[in-house]
Amino acid sequence: MSGRAILFLVIGFSVLLLITEKNIGVASNRAVDNMAYYYENMNVHNIAVSGANVAANQFFLDPTWTAGFNNVPFAGGSYTVTVNIINAFTNTRQICSVGHYEGFSDTVLVTLKPSSFSKFAYYSVSEGNNPTYWITGDTVWGPLHTQDKLTISGDPVFNGKVTTLTHFVTKGYSNPEFNGGYQTGVNMPLPPGGTASVKSLADNGGADFTGHDTVYVKFAGDSIKYKYSYGSSYTSVLAKTFAPNGAIFATGATLRLQGTVTGQYSIGASQITTGSGKKATKTGGDVYLDGSIVYNTDPRSNPGSTDMLGIVAQNNVLITDNNANKGDINIDASVYAETGGFGSENYDKRSLAGTINLYGGIQQNGRLPVGTFHTNGSNLYLISGFLKNYRYDDRLMIASPPGYPNTGMFEIVSWYE
Amino acid sequence: MGFSTLLDILGSIIIGGLVLLILFRVNTSATSNLYTNTSEANVQSAMISVGSVLEEDFRKIGYCKDWTKIPDPTKAILFADTSSIKFLTDLNNDGNVDTLSYYLGPASELLNTPNPNDRLLYRVTNSDAPKSSNVGITEFKITYFDSFGNILSTPVTPPSQIQKMQIDIMVENTEPIDSTYVVAFWRQLRLTARNLQNR
Repeated sequence: MSGRAILFLVIGFSVLLLITEKNIGVASNRAVDNMAYYYENMNVHNIAVSGANVAANQFFLDPTWTAGFNNVPFAGGSYTVTVNIINAFTNTRQICSVGHYEGFSDTVLVTLKPSSFSKFAYYSVSEGNNPTYWITGDTVWGPLHTQDKLTISGDPVFNGKVTTLTHFVTKGYSNPEFNGGYQTGVNMPLPPGGTASVKSLADNGGADFTGHDTVYVKFAGDSIKYKYSYGSSYTSVLAKTFAPNGAIFATGATLRLQGTVTGQYSIGASQITTGSGKKATKTGGDVYLDGSIVYNTDPRSNPGSTDMLGIVAQNNVLITDNNANKGDINIDASVYAETGGFGSENYDKRSLAGTINLYGGIQQNGRLPVGTFHTNGSNLYLISGFLKNYRYDDRLMIASPPGYPNTGMFEIVSWYE
Repeated sequence: MGFSTLLDILGSIIIGGLVLLILFRVNTSATSNLYTNTSEANVQSAMISVGSVLEEDFRKIGYCKDWTKIPDPTKAILFADTSSIKFLTDLNNDGNVDTLSYYLGPASELLNTPNPNDRLLYRVTNSDAPKSSNVGITEFKITYFDSFGNILSTPVTPPSQIQKMQIDIMVENTEPIDSTYVVAFWRQLRLTARNLQNR
């Protein structure tokens, strides 16, 4: 009797244990399933990201590339990439990378737009053979790029993203702050003929001054005044009818500029060469700022301001050594100097002036001086020219003056994964 | 019934008793294993859920379908501390900028659970009420790195210095098994929110 009971007990317990073991197995399987699910999701995501990275690299090597990739085997799965033009007017493009792995799929979308030089608070091709140091007290508020090395002495602050082709060097104890990040090995040359985009726009719906050595332009709110010699009187025209697309250009002329800007404009000057060989004569290509040039509605106090100006010179953009510039000068513009730089005329001979209050950005081939000074301890004494107070116009991150020179490359503006 | 029969009964009782003891022991052990395995699976499941949500959200720091609404993504992180972060993103991919923040609540909030270390991880969208559920999180730690890979001290000022992050999460079960808690640890090494490096 008891033997039979024991037999029942053994059978009963065996059944219980089988059920328990099955549940243990289920729990173990769940744990493995969790891990496998996470791994597969991670893997397919990484494949999609890799496809986007490969495509972005291809795109930077060849900005016209639209072929995409079809079902490329990668990391045990595959990716397919398509390139779409999502806005033909702004030439905005989108890379769509779809990764596949073990029945899972994931998509990464990368949006790119043509990159304009106007987005830089500071750009230079060369920092000079005797480079001007970025020193303690220097603050750059927007993106900075140099094709040269960045030379630093002290603790300058870079609030925007800093990119260089080579590297940065420090003198003595330096602790620069890169608050927007730092990236090296970024090659973004200043292409020749950058002013052509403004001239082209000026020739097609804007205003192009030709056949004059010098052109004086004064923005006066809704009007634009111009003349061709110092002593003559201005001709006043309605800005919207004079340059409907906002591009004003002086071909082969020196441009002299001042005034108050209402609306969006790019104004520039190019150089022309007459004659040939030893008799070749180059004229024009410089822009002189004869006085302050400011926005009618100040974006700093009124963020809704749509006033925007680009000053584009084939050579230099210089602050004129004249009576109007004996004190401070206010410049609201993004300044582009293709073969030269932004500086002040007779910087070492002119009298002690004031401060350059620049609201915008500077893109130049090389840095030019704006004044001379001597130091006594930590004090800086101006001898001639100007002190600098440059502030970046944040609106230039998303907008640029009409026809402003392009880098010829695309930049990633959005990455969705 | 002779002596040998009595001996048989006694022997079978002893052997049966031993078999019973073994079966009870095996049953107890199997049940304990079942609890442990189930707890581990639950903790791991919670960990993967939390990790997946965090990865999904953190990858989108600075993203907006309408990129002009976050023109400078380096400014997308509004606040960054060891166990809390607030940033701009586009949660629904609808072109509208959202504010998303994560923060770890105090351990005193969950005194009703046996685990003294579990805390609530709150996720707050825009100005909505904080949302959370107790999945047994005992640690939520973010380490921030600048573009040179240096660890940034917290709270990070200014947050625009942040280029990469390391996220650590530890999850424990809320009820102990034999006075011990099952632990799962997840670390996202060097998470790079890609949009922070745009432009």
